[in-house]
Amino acid sequence: MRQEHPSKVMSAAEAVAEFVHDGDILYYGHGNCYIPHALVYEAIRQRKSRLDIVGGTPGTQLQQLLFHAGCADRTRTGSLSGLRGSGGQSRVWELVEQGKLRFDDYSNQTLALMFMAAALGIPFIPTRAFLGTDFLKDEYINHPRGFLGQDKLRLIADPFTGQPVVALPALRPNVALWHAQRADEEGNIQAWGAYADGRWGIWAAERVVISVEEIVPTEVVRSDPNRTILPAYKVSAVVHEPFGSFPGELPGYYNQDPALVRLGAGRLDDYLAEWVYGRSDHQDFMEHYVERFGYHRLRGLLPRRRVQPTGSVDYGVRAIAAHEAQEEGKE
Amino acid sequence: MTPRAPVAERYTRLEMMFVAAAREMAGRGVIFVGMSYPLLAATLAKLHHDPDLHFCTEQGIIDWRPPADLERAPVQVSDPILNIGAAFLGDSVDALGSLLMGGGTDLAILPAAQVDRFGNGNTIAIGDYNRPVRWLGGIGGNMDAACLAKAVMFLVPHERRRFMQRVDFITSPGYIDGPGARRRAGLDPQGANLIVTTLGILRFDTPDGGITGSCEAFLDTIYPGVTVEEFQANTGWPVRISPDLNVLEPPSQEEIDLLRRLDPTHVHLRERGDV
Repeated sequence: MRQEHPSKVMSAAEAVAEFVHDGDILYYGHGNCYIPHALVYEAIRQRKSRLDIVGGTPGTQLQQLLFHAGCADRTRTGSLSGLRGSGGQSRVWELVEQGKLRFDDYSNQTLALMFMAAALGIPFIPTRAFLGTDFLKDEYINHPRGFLGQDKLRLIADPFTGQPVVALPALRPNVALWHAQRADEEGNIQAWGAYADGRWGIWAAERVVISVEEIVPTEVVRSDPNRTILPAYKVSAVVHEPFGSFPGELPGYYNQDPALVRLGAGRLDDYLAEWVYGRSDHQDFMEHYVERFGYHRLRGLLPRRRVQPTGSVDYGVRAIAAHEAQEEGKE
Repeated sequence: MTPRAPVAERYTRLEMMFVAAAREMAGRGVIFVGMSYPLLAATLAKLHHDPDLHFCTEQGIIDWRPPADLERAPVQVSDPILNIGAAFLGDSVDALGSLLMGGGTDLAILPAAQVDRFGNGNTIAIGDYNRPVRWLGGIGGNMDAACLAKAVMFLVPHERRRFMQRVDFITSPGYIDGPGARRRAGLDPQGANLIVTTLGILRFDTPDGGITGSCEAFLDTIYPGVTVEEFQANTGWPVRISPDLNVLEPPSQEEIDLLRRLDPTHVHLRERGDV
């Protein structure tokens, strides 16, 4: 039988080598949930460079590692959270002071809208966020540490009412890396939880690489299609990577390990050596984790009880009857 | 009249801030709960005062109902504990778009490093943005909520360096620089806004959300054991005092016990320099 859709499954190393390019605008998720630690560690191992990290609140550990390792030199975000501060306590501060990192500030809402605009193929999208803030002052739009200048946003008049409104440019990541619960081999991605800007970050991107906890038969996906967050035609590669979001978290699979996620400026070199460059892949990472801290620590981060829907939905139809009714209508 | 609940014997001023904020949330409808302190305050409000509050966060959680066996308040706005018992799980365009931009947020509860006499907040930089003394965590959804929610409650520990004549940088507009300013900027009127601190509650002199009135913050309610002099000494502008100054009921033992139970590892109930 002809295979309808070829498999998109490949290893993290293969997918990152093929689909993450130097100089890419990179989206990789929000907060500590669905964060593709396995894929981004692989990008660091492959010494990707000149990346521009975009997203409302990109995972903080990966921001620090990507900046510190020299993989990323730009970012537009609502949060350099936990990374800021002042001299001596913040690697971001040091890199910015040295001119090695440029940034422009947005917010969780505005970046989500900019991704949505790119996904919809519209050139810009209006919002009333940013109004009344100091961000709209010229000296702060053209700030010395930024790189967008007047391309960051524009204060315009609503063409219909004349009221002030902020126009945000559509933002299309060249590549999105993300981690989800499951997919089929064709690349239909299913996820559950609160996605933050994940849905639009991945819809907007030119290339999309998704790692998943489980690869399931396509019949599983097709029996519950509302769970699909991205259809296969948008997906470049699927990577089977259990614990691929760890030390971040994934609903139903594991909680984060805050001791690894929150890195002070002084720990970055050691962390990169031990947990990124020192590991061959994410399975090696997990084995090292268990070796180092013991299985009981990992066990403590796994769900204690299952929380599953109590009511099932019915997608059923009366296909033949509907068809007959249509035929009758023709006569 | 119902008999008064036993009063807590010992409590800190930080705990009093949470207790006061939770009481203020009762009856406020759809609440947008920001990161940090608001998470604990809103959980207390939901459990102790008003089960009908719609507890929402920016990741896409709308109407979280804490499970019966809740062991702790959420630690982050994305805490997976919020997935259990939520009525709606979606994304940021749902929560910060359809809900917030669509006008559905009755009250946003937000942290800020600095606030000022017109109720503006700053979450980005201490000093000049272009030459900062210190950078803060960033905007997150704080700006979005301050621009677009129907009303805002800031939760800010009361220190002089945080309560300013004018914040170093407006990330989160309140009444900006006085009457009419929100409208001139293109924003809707907003209120009744308030700032709940570790010493008392500030409200704003405007009957219509920033169109008329001075729009200045005034001391409306003070906590038991706090003096007006102490409040003034820790506030960076000559603060007006309400002629009908209220003294807040001290916390009940039940409020304090529940608050402490909801934060067993003191994620929220510790003094922090940077929030």
